[in-house]
Amino acid sequence: MNVALELNGRSVGLECEPDEMLLAVLRREGLRSVRATCGIGVCGACTVLVDGEPVSGCLMLAALSAGRRVTTVEGLSSADPVPRAFVEAHAYQCGWCTPGFILTAKALLADNPDPSEAEIGEALGGNLCRCGSYVEIVAAIRRAAAELAGGALRQ
Amino acid sequence: MSAVQWLEPRSLAEAGEVRAQRGAEATVLAGGSFLGILMNQGFLSPTCLLSLRAVGELRGITVRDGELCLGAMVTHRQVERDETVRRDWPALARAFGIVASPRVRNQATVGGVLADADYASDPPAMLGALGARAVLRGPTGEREVAIDELILGFYQTCIADDELLTEVRVPPAEPGAVYRKFRSRSSEDRPCVAVAAARSGGALRVVVGACAEMPQHYPDICALAAEGPLDGAMAREIARRYAERLQPLTDARGSAGYRRRIVAVEVRRALEELGGVGGETLVRGRQGGTLVRGRRGGTLVRGRRRAGP
Ligand SMILES: Cc1cc2nc3c(=O)[nH]c(=O)nc-3n(C[C@H](O)[C@H](O)[C@H](O)COP(=O)(O)OP(=O)(O)OC[C@H]3O[C@@H](n4cnc5c(N)ncnc54)[C@H](O)[C@@H]3O)c2cc1C
Ligand code: FES
Ligand code: FES
Repeated sequence: MNVALELNGRSVGLECEPDEMLLAVLRREGLRSVRATCGIGVCGACTVLVDGEPVSGCLMLAALSAGRRVTTVEGLSSADPVPRAFVEAHAYQCGWCTPGFILTAKALLADNPDPSEAEIGEALGGNLCRCGSYVEIVAAIRRAAAELAGGALRQ
Repeated sequence: MSAVQWLEPRSLAEAGEVRAQRGAEATVLAGGSFLGILMNQGFLSPTCLLSLRAVGELRGITVRDGELCLGAMVTHRQVERDETVRRDWPALARAFGIVASPRVRNQATVGGVLADADYASDPPAMLGALGARAVLRGPTGEREVAIDELILGFYQTCIADDELLTEVRVPPAEPGAVYRKFRSRSSEDRPCVAVAAARSGGALRVVVGACAEMPQHYPDICALAAEGPLDGAMAREIARRYAERLQPLTDARGSAGYRRRIVAVEVRRALEELGGVGGETLVRGRQGGTLVRGRRGGTLVRGRRRAGP
């Protein structure tokens, strides 16, 4: 089947099988930031944004993305403050989990521009970092939030 | 050439026809978060998928005759965020909002969580305590079933092969309802013990989830609440009897013995919270920074005074 959607800002038609997951199809398209890891929706390394909301690429059938707006980190602008904050806060070691955290953080900040540490924890609880960079990840999100707000935040 | 067929009806009438024609041969697909795991792990290889994504009639959150009507394709995230649900059914918003992570809640639907009938889900216990009914639509019309009629056992429901679950109807919760989720592993996990409690029209309904094949509700024990105020002693007594009656299962989230002890604590706490909502005084906690302990009716209670509703 052919699935028409908006992928990273471009209208595309993806060839796929009806029982194929979005993760597999995106990787075939060369979007390697979306990572096959647990395959059961627990770790968040396959996170993509669908209409701006985080979803597990490993559990969502590609066919269900028809007509929707799908974003991976490859689709973020080079000026995007969120990935930059991850680099500046050194919020990773191996980097395997990083795309998933960045996308989840983008959805959080779109919803709540000034999240508390508890709110960050709740929003990101479904993303696992095997390297344990959690403290830096929270710092990166606070940093991105501050930059997006022009520095005028609660911390 | 594709081995798997994709069916995507555009209306409820069309979906009903396809379902009646194809029956069990076509796997009904909602958000796909449950089916996706089965497929990834090789437990399920559907030959035909019947997707409900394009059926607009299944996406509504409305209030009709005072009842909340949730379409089967409404996501957990939509329930959790909906202003009306948050205001008038806050415990229900909480039960949906505490499922896994935002990622799962963006995908999982109201119909999917009921139709998959996993014993360790959150919403079914709360919906049961609120007296909700699921609407099942088949070739000869619609029928309404209560949650304890819908869920028959492990991953088993009374939904026939030619029926679709189209809507869940939730009566108004008055004066309150409580949902407590006890997790033994991580905050994104399914519950080890779930307790939902609600009072409506003077009747108390306590439903314990995640401990047995299906949510457990013991009307005769709940009837005790009609005999006196829902105070600390009553909460303790009902909790004790629930823990005694229940035959908990053992799984990775806890042994039967562990669950039994947690049930006694969590049912008591749920009822203390519920009592607080109704203006009674006894909820475990702090008052002005000090833990209050005292006796009432001969039983040791811990609590704080809460303002009435
Ligand atoms: C990582 C993870 C963590 C989770 N944690 C929790 C948790 O903490 N608490 C909790 O409660 N749940 C939890 N879940 C379960 C989740 O809520 C369910 O997977 C989800 O609700 C299923 O909904 P769905 O729309 O994705 O269903 P699908 O996967 O699309 O379908 C589920 C089943 O229902 C059938 N079906 C779906 N809709 C209908 C319909 N309208 N009529 C008839 N049959 C239908 C399907 O054929 C299938 O058998 C978790 C899931 C994951 C992946
Ligand atoms: S690979 Fe999808 S959540 Fe882990
Ligand atoms: S940086 Fe290695 S898993 Fe997170």
